[in-house]
Amino acid sequence: MTIVAGMDIGSTTAKCVVLEGQRVLGKSLSPVGVDIVKDAERALEAALADSGIARSEVSFITGTGYGRYKVYFGQLVVTEISCHARGAHFLFPGTRVVVDIGGQDTKAIRVNEKGEVVDFSMNDKCAAGTGRFLEVCANALGFDIGEIGALSLQAKRPMRVTSTCTVFAESEVASYVSRGKDPKDILAGLHASIANRTLSLMQRVGIEPEVTFTGGVSQNGGMVRALNRRLGASVNVSPLSQYMGALGAALHGQERQAGGAS
Amino acid sequence: MAGLSPPLTAAAPAPAFLGDARSLQKQMLESYYARLAGTGEKRPPVAYMLVGGNLTEIVRSFGYDVVFPEIVALNCAIKHQSLENILHAESMGYGLDVCGYVKNDLGLQDLGGRTSFGQIPRPDLLVCSFSGCFVYVKWWEALAESYGAPLFMFDVPYMREPTVRKEDIDYLVSQLWEFIHLLEKKTGQAFDMAALQRVLAESRRAEEGWVEYLRAGRLRPSPIEAYFEAIFYMFPINVLRGTPEASEFYRVVNEEVRARVRDGIYPLPEETFRVLVEGVPPYTNYRTFWDFFRKWGAVSVVATYPKVGGLFDRGFLHDPSRPLESIAEYSLGAYVNQSWPLRRQIISDYIQEYSADAAIIHGIKSCRSFTAGQGDLRDWLIHDKGVPTLYIESDHQDPRYFAPAQIKNRMDAFFESLEQRRAVSAQKVPA
Repeated sequence: MTIVAGMDIGSTTAKCVVLEGQRVLGKSLSPVGVDIVKDAERALEAALADSGIARSEVSFITGTGYGRYKVYFGQLVVTEISCHARGAHFLFPGTRVVVDIGGQDTKAIRVNEKGEVVDFSMNDKCAAGTGRFLEVCANALGFDIGEIGALSLQAKRPMRVTSTCTVFAESEVASYVSRGKDPKDILAGLHASIANRTLSLMQRVGIEPEVTFTGGVSQNGGMVRALNRRLGASVNVSPLSQYMGALGAALHGQERQAGGAS
Repeated sequence: MAGLSPPLTAAAPAPAFLGDARSLQKQMLESYYARLAGTGEKRPPVAYMLVGGNLTEIVRSFGYDVVFPEIVALNCAIKHQSLENILHAESMGYGLDVCGYVKNDLGLQDLGGRTSFGQIPRPDLLVCSFSGCFVYVKWWEALAESYGAPLFMFDVPYMREPTVRKEDIDYLVSQLWEFIHLLEKKTGQAFDMAALQRVLAESRRAEEGWVEYLRAGRLRPSPIEAYFEAIFYMFPINVLRGTPEASEFYRVVNEEVRARVRDGIYPLPEETFRVLVEGVPPYTNYRTFWDFFRKWGAVSVVATYPKVGGLFDRGFLHDPSRPLESIAEYSLGAYVNQSWPLRRQIISDYIQEYSADAAIIHGIKSCRSFTAGQGDLRDWLIHDKGVPTLYIESDHQDPRYFAPAQIKNRMDAFFESLEQRRAVSAQKVPA
């Protein structure tokens, strides 16, 4: 069985998934800096090391994400919209809506029963409601991005964050801090604010079960709960959710190799 | 690397299908601005007017030349000169959200009216021919105050029904007579109905030629690019309508289109997708935006924006035998003067008539008048009409709103999904 790799070079992280048939052999996640080509190469090497295979064993590489054209050693580029759809459908075949919250983009993607994109809607070019928004506000509170989800789950009286602009939200957070508000309550308010914005995007494409949550922010338990509350239903989340774009890219690669539509 | 979508930075080949007509259009544009700048013979008096529902024929019959500040603004934008004017207008106190046309024009005028394509003359007369946009009304008032030029405000009722009402025509004709009396007073000339009829006959010839060109988009493959190319050819129908140059121009264009069909010259080597385009283009990044279509083999076969100066392809043509009534009908029928149900119907008809596979809507941040409702249009096309539709947004004047990577990403994803659906339906067809 042939081995393929999918590489999702996003605005903040590079993800790589090595796939053989339906089995994920290995994966990697690393930050993206100024030299995106090198970052992509490093991500591939790390995923190969995780898989325990040599580069020569990989027969097809697909790039996705904003840095997809920097995967110069690949054979195919596909937008992350198609890749998240394909990846989500692979892991959760009942998926009809994919919500991807990444570093600088939030997307709602409606898919059909085959995992094909039917419609999609994205945030404006401003970063409000994305992972970057959370990161900026976490920094303003003196927390690491990785810990804020769990902290927000401990909130007792969530604050209301109304600013739609990342910079203004940071000021709003600072204002709550100066008034002695509990950071956990502020964090819960921030998560609810993103959930509200995300719901608007989902409504544009039409909300239909099942909803699968992907992208880096899907690993944040506070965000999962905030989305579930807004939706009144549970979203699908997988430990591979952050790798969904890379996984979808690998699947597109498989299909292309097999001579399919991709 | 092979891929579904080519890199953002790849240089696209020049659109080789454009022939003599495009060169002629450029020459006409240059000589028009040279005439306005007053080089050569003494220039005629100038009336400033808005494109929607304009009263070109009437002022022309009194010997006026016409300046459309919207067209000056788009020429500035396409030549990457709009930002300087916009920033200047903002320094004068015009806010970030004010219409880009307005800020470009007021900034430009305050900077002395100099552009790379000529000096824009001061107005001798201001005609606010489209009152459907309140910002436009205020813009014209600002110009009147700034120049001390007489202002004629033409109040055109909004179109909510497909049929034109007699009361509306009577109301507009009575205003046209007021306008004519103002012109008589200002020029000292008596109104000459026969002169107006001659101008209208010339307009009609140009309109017929323009319609013939636009309808070529119905052919498969289409020999024309009904958005990016047609926008170049809007210049004569909007700015020079009523002159023999305009009708002659469309004769040349149509001859070229016939030659394209004969010789197999098309906008793209392969017409993969036939699209309808709605909305004002991002003039500041015109070629980049066009390339986003071309790289996917997408040809616009029909578009609404080139009709902002008149929906001539929907049956209306100026009628010299009913001069003022015909001008009134024209003003009422301006695309921007139509209610959304009427605009939706036009778009739906176009999709059928031109066999479009999909629709792309480009909204502009600085004009809510044109853009508000486009989100609902997108939903209506997708859900009620089953037409794959993409909505993207930037601006027509302000380059700060054009985010190429994001726009390209959305367009790539849209065309990818169209390609996928097409491949799947092809698999379903029995061999």
